[in-house]
Amino acid sequence: MASTMPAPPTEAAARAANLKKVYGEGDAAVEALRGVSLEFGRGGFTAIMGPSGSGKSTLLHCLAGLDSPTEGNVWIGDTDLTTLSERQLTALRRDKVGFVFQAFNLVPTLTAAENITLPLDIAGTEVDRVWFDQVVDTIGLRDRLRHRPSELSGGQQQRVAGARALVSRPEIVFADEPTGNLDSRSGAELLGFLREAVSTHGQTIVIVTHDAGAASYADRVVFLADGHVVDEMRDPTADLVLDRLKSLES
Amino acid sequence: MWRATFKSLVAKKLRLVLTAISVVLGVGFVAGTYVLTDTMNAAFEQLFAQTSEASDVVVRSVSAFDAQVEGPGGGGGGDERTPVPEQVLADVLSVPGVATAVGDVQGYAQMVDPATDEVIGGVGPPTIGTNWTDLAGDILSLRGDSVPPASADEVVIDAATARNANLAVGDRIRILFQGPPGEFTIVGVAGFGDADNLGGATLAVFDTATAQEVLGKRGVFDAISVVGDEGVPASELRASVDAALPDGVEAVTSTSVADEASQALQEGLGFFRTALLVFAFVALFVGSFIIFNTFSIIVAQRTRELALLRALGASKRQVIVSVVLEALVVGLLASLLGILAGIGIAVGLQGLLGAFNIDLPSTSIQLLPRTIIVALIVGVVVTVVASILPARRAGSVAPIQALREASDGPVAGDLAGRRLVIAVVVTALGAAALLYGLFGAESDGASIVGLGAAVTFIGVAMLSPLAARPVAGGLGAPLKRLSVQARLGRENAMRSPRRTASTAAALMIGLGLVSMVAILAASLKASFDAALTETLKADYTLSTSSFTSFSPEVGRRVAALPEVETTSAFRQNGFRVDGSTSFLTAVDPGTVEDVATLEVSEGSVAALDERADVVLVHRDVAADNGWTLGDEVPAEFASLGDRPLTIVGIYDENRLVGDYVISLGAYDEYYTEQLDSFVLVTGAEGVPLAEVSESISAAASEFPNVQVQDQAAFREQQAGFVDQLLGLVTALLAMAIVIALFGIVNTLGLSIYERTRELGLLRAVGMSRVQVKRMIRWESIIIAVFGAVLGIVIGILFGWALQQALRSEGVSEFVVPVGQLVAYLVFAGLAGVLAAIWPAKRAAKLNVLEAISYE
Ligand SMILES: Nc1ncnc2c1ncn2[C@@H]1O[C@H](COP(=O)(O)OP(=O)(O)OP(=O)(O)O)[C@@H](O)[C@H]1O
Ligand SMILES: [Mg+2]
Repeated sequence: MASTMPAPPTEAAARAANLKKVYGEGDAAVEALRGVSLEFGRGGFTAIMGPSGSGKSTLLHCLAGLDSPTEGNVWIGDTDLTTLSERQLTALRRDKVGFVFQAFNLVPTLTAAENITLPLDIAGTEVDRVWFDQVVDTIGLRDRLRHRPSELSGGQQQRVAGARALVSRPEIVFADEPTGNLDSRSGAELLGFLREAVSTHGQTIVIVTHDAGAASYADRVVFLADGHVVDEMRDPTADLVLDRLKSLES
Repeated sequence: MWRATFKSLVAKKLRLVLTAISVVLGVGFVAGTYVLTDTMNAAFEQLFAQTSEASDVVVRSVSAFDAQVEGPGGGGGGDERTPVPEQVLADVLSVPGVATAVGDVQGYAQMVDPATDEVIGGVGPPTIGTNWTDLAGDILSLRGDSVPPASADEVVIDAATARNANLAVGDRIRILFQGPPGEFTIVGVAGFGDADNLGGATLAVFDTATAQEVLGKRGVFDAISVVGDEGVPASELRASVDAALPDGVEAVTSTSVADEASQALQEGLGFFRTALLVFAFVALFVGSFIIFNTFSIIVAQRTRELALLRALGASKRQVIVSVVLEALVVGLLASLLGILAGIGIAVGLQGLLGAFNIDLPSTSIQLLPRTIIVALIVGVVVTVVASILPARRAGSVAPIQALREASDGPVAGDLAGRRLVIAVVVTALGAAALLYGLFGAESDGASIVGLGAAVTFIGVAMLSPLAARPVAGGLGAPLKRLSVQARLGRENAMRSPRRTASTAAALMIGLGLVSMVAILAASLKASFDAALTETLKADYTLSTSSFTSFSPEVGRRVAALPEVETTSAFRQNGFRVDGSTSFLTAVDPGTVEDVATLEVSEGSVAALDERADVVLVHRDVAADNGWTLGDEVPAEFASLGDRPLTIVGIYDENRLVGDYVISLGAYDEYYTEQLDSFVLVTGAEGVPLAEVSESISAAASEFPNVQVQDQAAFREQQAGFVDQLLGLVTALLAMAIVIALFGIVNTLGLSIYERTRELGLLRAVGMSRVQVKRMIRWESIIIAVFGAVLGIVIGILFGWALQQALRSEGVSEFVVPVGQLVAYLVFAGLAGVLAAIWPAKRAAKLNVLEAISYE
């Protein structure tokens, strides 16, 4: 099936150039990002790690068009987000970006299936049934599609959120500590699902995590500290990541 | 604890304002009613006092009772007393201690605008004709180059009429009287101090001889005003004048005349005030729903905070007190604002009256301590009472809930059964009281009906959460396919049935009453139609557009036409039976049965012709009083006192003539003013109707106030009156609907605040601001339409009950104006759109990042 062919990971799905973000003004100003330049290749699975307050969430928000950088540029595909209006940013989030938050990912009044197709419904585009079925089968929740979020476990909810992020075939999926509220088994299930989306469907995914084990699912780990990219690691293992984190914190 | 309350108040300023608005409007309505009626009262008291200063003593004929009923259609106005013979003036003048005395006459005189050939005034306030006396200058102030009327051709008119009709000294004007109309030259324009007219009455002043002639008071005066010599006390003067008077004539001090007048005014204003207060209390009642709802939501939202307070050692009572305290502060502030709003409303209404040419003598706005006290009590009590249930709910929050996720509130599901039972019982009690008030109650029926209606509304409001999910779901079902935001709007409306239901309930009350009134109006119109077709045999009706009485000259002229077969005049007026006011109709016994159906079943109409002291009585009235043919009706007339009437006939059809019928000859004996209420005319055999109507119109052309109408036109005009009344009542209920809309705004605002995270999520995954707004609009529309549906259903039931109760009053038909009710439903939907504007804007403005990281 053509749609499942992995795209060559050469071209960047998202790019940040000299990204700076300052919160507040004057004495109270906080520099959350101090010049971050990064590329996320198509079909790549990147984990962003770093100590608390190092700017991971801020980076993710800027990349996803949820927040605007103080300086620098962000591209999703060929689009420079800093040139977009609020309305265009909303449309871009809807069509080009998938998002998984740490919690409160689902609209409580909608069923799991409705939550999954929410971005498509908002856009008013037809749901690709074949792809929908495939995603649903991957998360293994076919029998739960008609349930409301309150009837799902935390892990199931996060997987539904993951399915929602994938179903519109976005350019890139961002996830901020998606396993932060899950036990290790549920976490592993979610990460396995994300990994599969990358491997079999060529999806580009960027996650933020504190968990070295979670990071080991990625192809690449980017280490952030004090708003700077301080290191990168290809094909990480949990041990290597842990070592690196320890050295960062000291 | 106090500090926590205060902080919560300050922190949610906006919420406070929104909650308060519903109380402010209701209290404003109450305060405005008092301020307006007090101001009107003060204005007239001042005027009566001024008028009474012109003379010390007034001489007049004795009256059995003060006629409470205005001379029909505001003809001459004032008491119905027989006039005093002219010679009495000479007697009075010869009494020692009398400095001057003048004879006053008053009667119907309606001016015709020369520019438009239409009558001036006559709708409501009277059109008065009177005479210029030596004392007139003390009450009337001549403006500019005016002079008093001095010949049979001259008239002085009130300044408001002059201003509105663009008349000036030197202009000619035609004036209608009881007898033939006349043409006069305006020689003067007069005001009452600064006011251009008096409460909307028009005034035409003639010299005394002319006034006696045109007002039908030849050789008599209605009253004599007496001024005493310097130093003679009014009471002494009264006594010495009284001693010189013939039987049946009395002397009273001017101050007691003023007191009588102001007492009559008090009663009139009292009625007006009560009517307005009813609407004000409807508004407050709706407001109490909003308060209840707002506090319920706030308590639910603060569950964790309250639980934390409890965990930290606050007692149950302290928690309850903190909520009630918040309500107390809201109620107090809102009531104070409401008083200010009330002053604004009163000033606005006064301006509105001015726009309708009803000038009041200028006085300052009257804000009596009573108004402030009532407004404060009503506002605070309504707010506090409405907050008690939510407060108790707050008190039942367990400390453990601090640790749980926020839920929809601490009320458990097992209460549902008990709640249902209570709701059903309340509704049934309300309905029972309503029906008892309508059908069973001997006295206080109206208050029982009102109470029953209120309780029914509360009961239905308690029941409505049951309906909220299915109805909102059903209403929204077509939306499901429309768009995701429509679907979300529907889901949100169904999400918290109690919240949706109580928000909708506030709208239900307003729409229920409006629908009921619409149904009553439609039923009235249909009943009137039926009555016309069944009782009216005449081809044409002569009447005035405002149902005021008019000169019998019109009927006389029409009767003389060769194209006319029968002309039959009807006069209506008030009298007393057993001490309570009733109405009678005077008919021409010779012709009445040719133009109208009475269905006389015992006795005959002809028997009326034989004597003056006989009467026909409607079957139901006779039955209620146990009267049969030959019995006496204990009647009492204002001018003559007790005059028992013997029953010479009993009839079945009362829709045209009411409950008592006498002859025109008898009417002439019992009443001073002889004006026709309506005249029925049939055309002569063989003359085409068009010709008949043309010649009738020509004969009546000198009386522009009189309309010549065939049955269809008459019917249409009646429908017009009913519609006008419907419009007025609907406008007065609008306040309740506006308050209910604020309730929707408030609920949506609070819900949005609660759903911040969810909105953030929707925005994050790509919902545009426009789509967010649409989603909230749909929710609002569903809530509003839900309330409207409930209201209309209740309105239909109430309307039906009311119609059944009024059957004996002639409301024989029951009609549901479907088109109108559908229009209300559509209107409710549009109102929902309106109510959503602000909450939608707020929701759309949410900062996405803050929303998703919001705890
Ligand atoms: N809205 C804000 N206003 C002010 N400062 C902020 C805001 N958001 C984040 N910051 C600050 O910016 C810095 C980076 O925050 P960010 O949330 O990106 O950290 P993080 O790496 O995601 O941390 P964590 O691992 O705890 O989630 C922190 O010092 C934080 O206090
Ligand atoms: Mg973070």
